[in-house]
Amino acid sequence: MLPFIIRRLLWMVVLLLVISFLTYIIFYTLPAADPAALRAGRQPTPELLASIKKSLGLDKPWYIQYLKYLQRLVFHFDFGYSYQNQVSVKSQIFDRLPATAALAVGAAIVWLLIGIPVGIISAIKRGTWMDRIAMGGALVAISAPVYWLGLVSLYLFSKDLGKIPLFEGQGAYPSSGNIFTKPGEVIPALIMPWFVLAASFAAIYARFLRGNLLETMSEDYIRTARSKGLRERTVVFKHGVRSAITPIVTILGLDLGILLGGAILTETVFNIPGVGRLAFDAIQKSDLPTVQGTVLMGAFFIIILNLVVDVVYAFLDPRVRY
Amino acid sequence: MRRSVRWTLFVSVVTALAMFVAACGGSDNGGGGGGGSKTAAVQTKIAQGKKGGNLTYLAAGDVDYLDTGQTYYTFGYMVAYATNRMLYSFKPTDSIHPVPDLATGPPEISADNKTITVHIKPGIKYAPPVNRVVTTKDIKYAFERAFSKEVPSGYAGAYFSSIAGTPDKPNSGDVKPISGIETPDDTTIVFKLKTAEAPLVSQALVMPITTPVPEEYASKFDKSTPSKFDQYQSFTGPYMVKNDPTTGKVTGRVPGKSIEIVRNPNWDAKTDYRPAYLDSIKIEEGNDDLATASRRALNGQSTVCCDAGSPPAQVLKQALARQKNQVIFVASGGTRYIAFDTKVKPFDNINIRKAIIAASNRNALRLTRGGAILGDIATGWIPPGIPGFEEAGGLKQNTDLDYLANPNGDPAVSKKYMLAAKKDDPSLPIDANGKWSGGEKILTIATNADPGKKTAEVFQGQMQDLGFKLNFRIVPQDTLYTKFCGVPKQNVAICPNVGWFKDFADPQSMLDATFNGKNILQQGNVNWPQLNDPQINSAMKAASTTPVGTERNQAWAKIGHMIAEQAPAIPWIWDKTASVGSANVNQVVNGYDTAHDLNFTSIK
Repeated sequence: MLPFIIRRLLWMVVLLLVISFLTYIIFYTLPAADPAALRAGRQPTPELLASIKKSLGLDKPWYIQYLKYLQRLVFHFDFGYSYQNQVSVKSQIFDRLPATAALAVGAAIVWLLIGIPVGIISAIKRGTWMDRIAMGGALVAISAPVYWLGLVSLYLFSKDLGKIPLFEGQGAYPSSGNIFTKPGEVIPALIMPWFVLAASFAAIYARFLRGNLLETMSEDYIRTARSKGLRERTVVFKHGVRSAITPIVTILGLDLGILLGGAILTETVFNIPGVGRLAFDAIQKSDLPTVQGTVLMGAFFIIILNLVVDVVYAFLDPRVRY
Repeated sequence: MRRSVRWTLFVSVVTALAMFVAACGGSDNGGGGGGGSKTAAVQTKIAQGKKGGNLTYLAAGDVDYLDTGQTYYTFGYMVAYATNRMLYSFKPTDSIHPVPDLATGPPEISADNKTITVHIKPGIKYAPPVNRVVTTKDIKYAFERAFSKEVPSGYAGAYFSSIAGTPDKPNSGDVKPISGIETPDDTTIVFKLKTAEAPLVSQALVMPITTPVPEEYASKFDKSTPSKFDQYQSFTGPYMVKNDPTTGKVTGRVPGKSIEIVRNPNWDAKTDYRPAYLDSIKIEEGNDDLATASRRALNGQSTVCCDAGSPPAQVLKQALARQKNQVIFVASGGTRYIAFDTKVKPFDNINIRKAIIAASNRNALRLTRGGAILGDIATGWIPPGIPGFEEAGGLKQNTDLDYLANPNGDPAVSKKYMLAAKKDDPSLPIDANGKWSGGEKILTIATNADPGKKTAEVFQGQMQDLGFKLNFRIVPQDTLYTKFCGVPKQNVAICPNVGWFKDFADPQSMLDATFNGKNILQQGNVNWPQLNDPQINSAMKAASTTPVGTERNQAWAKIGHMIAEQAPAIPWIWDKTASVGSANVNQVVNGYDTAHDLNFTSIK
């Protein structure tokens, strides 16, 4: 196992290098706005533009800029400074990471709490009205874009705008503090975003688990377990679900990894100052250092969680060995 | 069978219900907001406010800079106006006549228009940690740093290069003394000019560059490139952004998230015309969705919105019907137009340009922004509220030109000019009906965000009616300006989403940068048509030295007409900006920066 983990960590470094390079290429190839011209204002003189370009390091060829960036990143863990406000990218990302983590982890808990029971019930009650409602609802939840669902939730349930004011709405997330330092403000602000973000995932997991469980429950060893006189509950949970739920671990890790890179749409709709929101603003303003930083951070989480999932899988399924 | 039909029905009803709810709440920047709606207040006087209270301001974006030497954006001005004092500023209801702010009276201009003398009030103090009295040396330093590469001011070179001793190439070197700015005593500042441009320079003294900056405090931050003073800004206004009272580091601003504005403990109300009713203002950023943000403001408490533009037409319509007193309109002091690049075929032909202008339905374009409630049909480039507007003919300026006479478009006039173009140049692909028959696509760069995108699409339809085929590309607005329309070598034939808004109340600020041939730049160009008419250029040079007053207004009005005669673009709206707020807020919007005036706004 240890050689496997080390190999994967080494590949992670290579992958992050490739991703950072590709991000640079994309930034310079696609027609994004000129960050120096954005900083310069409306009627910049050529000298002003040149001065800003120099201060931002944009006067050098792109490959020199990239090498300098890599040098800072590798030796000093320095992501550079935002073109927009000259604030350290690293500090901005770490400042916003708790918000994204709280959103992602909370949503994951919600979708597991909903998706797994729904999937199990649907599989057990296959063909009944319960199954049909559950799967129909899942289809709606998968089809509804998250930003649409978010807006509908705000207009239905937010305290300041909603027809049925129940939950905190847009902008309720505090601009400072996190779920550990200000739980009384952060948790109410995240209730609706959790459910909005979790909706489609819960639906996917429910359908996925239903399909897996149906397949597992038709296996011979399940028939054997029943014929031994075990209670149905034991057959389902101890033998069926245990086997069927293993792939859920894999996709949970991937989904969580992606969300930790920033749930852009949810953060934007609910104005949660997370990493996704930071990335969105940076893309709008052609703020390459910030874009680069958020992309690398997102890639890091995906790779690491992928690794964690693989290791956990090996514990869950004794047949899997690396 | 019965069971599945019931189930299907149930799901369908639920889905339809949800979509109905979404449609009710959805944002819609589309047209249909015009005529028939009740109008809301156009601010003419300010209600007496009550001291106290905390305001929440919902903003989409962040300030460009807190550094008053660099800010050049409406939102940045709003914060600067509340937290700092300039030599001159504008009361909310009069965006034409500046009032002395730091100054004791109007600028004293010498007979040869080469010297401007201003006296400032004594005893005005900086907020902590600077804590001392403002002197004119601080204003001198503010100018000097704005010409350095560490503090890249977007307009120092454009408006103040005529001051003697300013660098030949602004923003290319370190902070250096400017010999043409003299401070004979702590309350007197004298600007000596190389050329007789005192009328323009004196008008530009309303800009934030005249905010005093204490050199002994700021110079250490100005040593780095770019300067770090933005994070340590000093304050002289009724308010300040929360900071560390020892180091001066601004703690109340979290970029992209919020700005906390509190009272300046050293502000003396006796020296200021601003009442400063509010105790504090919390700016919440990230409110991109104008529909939701404006509804929150309208239905909430102690909240105002928005920095990114007027609420969507649908929200505005509902607000005007039910909450009329919570909506304020103010002339934005600018013109939106569709620019042709006069160096790119076929728009190097003046008759083609006139033909397209004649054919354009400007009413239809205006509807994409919300209709008549959000602006008047533009017929030129000196908008309402700018001196010279009346002299130019007001709302009817340039309508003596037949291609600008009909806001709904005039096919007959359009045909006339198309056929005239054909007569001048028989090689042009124009048929006998005056329609363009060429197959080549014309590069058009439009914005990807509504309502600008809708405007461009409507214009595209109008061009297709004339026979033109467009290579229609949509990009973000910033990309449109910085990578395409502002870069002449990109050869963008049409830029349908450009506009120019005032820097201060002078017609030169509306026409010079955008239509003077000497201002064509290879990057960051705002003379989008690349108009370079020697007669217009000379007229502008002559008019720039005309003293402020009727004669100056008339001179620039005439230039406006000369520009219209060249048909470089289609002016289509003189915007109004709508601001909304909660019922318990006495909203006051400043006509100068068209943003909420936090010094006059109060809680009822």
